[in-house]
Amino acid sequence: MENMEDLVARLAQDVAVVKPAPHPFVLSLKWTGAAAIYLVVSLSISGLRPDWLEKLHSLWFVAEVVALIGIFFFTSLSAALLGFPDQYQKRKLTMAPIWMFALFLLILFFAGQADNPPSPLPVHSFQCTLGITMMSLFPAVWTFYAMRHYASTHYRLAGIFAMLSAFSVGALWLRLHEATDSIVHVVEWHYLPMLFIGVVGIWLGKRLLKW
Amino acid sequence: MIDQNENFASLMRQSLNGDQRAYAILLQKTASLLRPFLAKRLSFNNEVDDLLQEILISIHKARHTYDGNRPYKPWAYAIAKFRLQDFLRAHYSDQLRHAVDFDDLEEILPETVTESGLSYESISAEVQKLPEKQATILQLMHQEGYTSKEVAEKLGMNESAVKVSAHRAYKVLRKKLEK
Repeated sequence: MENMEDLVARLAQDVAVVKPAPHPFVLSLKWTGAAAIYLVVSLSISGLRPDWLEKLHSLWFVAEVVALIGIFFFTSLSAALLGFPDQYQKRKLTMAPIWMFALFLLILFFAGQADNPPSPLPVHSFQCTLGITMMSLFPAVWTFYAMRHYASTHYRLAGIFAMLSAFSVGALWLRLHEATDSIVHVVEWHYLPMLFIGVVGIWLGKRLLKW
Repeated sequence: MIDQNENFASLMRQSLNGDQRAYAILLQKTASLLRPFLAKRLSFNNEVDDLLQEILISIHKARHTYDGNRPYKPWAYAIAKFRLQDFLRAHYSDQLRHAVDFDDLEEILPETVTESGLSYESISAEVQKLPEKQATILQLMHQEGYTSKEVAEKLGMNESAVKVSAHRAYKVLRKKLEK
């Protein structure tokens, strides 16, 4: 290693005007905005579920979709905060998705209770997970690409939230596209795989966000 | 404390505008700030110096993530802690790699051999009794002289997985040889 004074002098010589990174709130708004456009375009191509107007009167369906939007929003925000070494000194806000997930689980529990007698299981199964994965690829690539421009000191956690954010877009798309009422199916083939893929984010974060 | 933070923040704001002098002062002050923090956690001065330089380079790389509107010190410490963890992780994994060296076992062996009747061949036999992957790793590393990285590439494994696997094999062998 070189001498400390030499290093300081060398780094100081390198310094040029640098545009500071945008505030994480702005950053996450950009990401969520872009993802929202992507979702709307995808839904306009694939079509909304045929019974969507009727479902708007179903309390638990609406609550589930709103909670999913909340997860999408807060995981994007957390990913943006985690892009900064000090999490923009908003550590508590970084953990907000955990509360959103707790709320989401509660809603799913009540939705499951309300689904009585249980709605019939659809014939398909893994195709849903596949659909969500395909739909989430673009937001995932985009989020990781954007995050690589920052300097995360919690790259594993950042990876989890980036993946969950991307996959919540896919889960939202499928929930609004596919006419499935079975909570068991939705939990088994939509949300559990989404959580599992969130865990894959630990590895991706280590691979892609370490600097 | 607030004044000091403001001082750092103001120096950083000037640095982001391309002021080389302010940046040099900021880096020197940051080095003085972080040195005691690292010295408390590391045993040797040369380690402190090396790590401090790495941290300054990281601060330089990540300076665009600081906008001068929040306290500077938590930002700098976050980077310092991150690099310290990296350093310690590498340090301990290195220690793990050297924890039980196969060659050391061979050096200890003559005493034990006379007492227990063990020979190099019997160790090789013990190695063969290990799970296939562990046996292959030990053979490649200690008979053919490959490094753990080369073994990892050869077997299509992660380097740390190779090290862990070798370490487990050493433990098993040691237990058997001690008997």
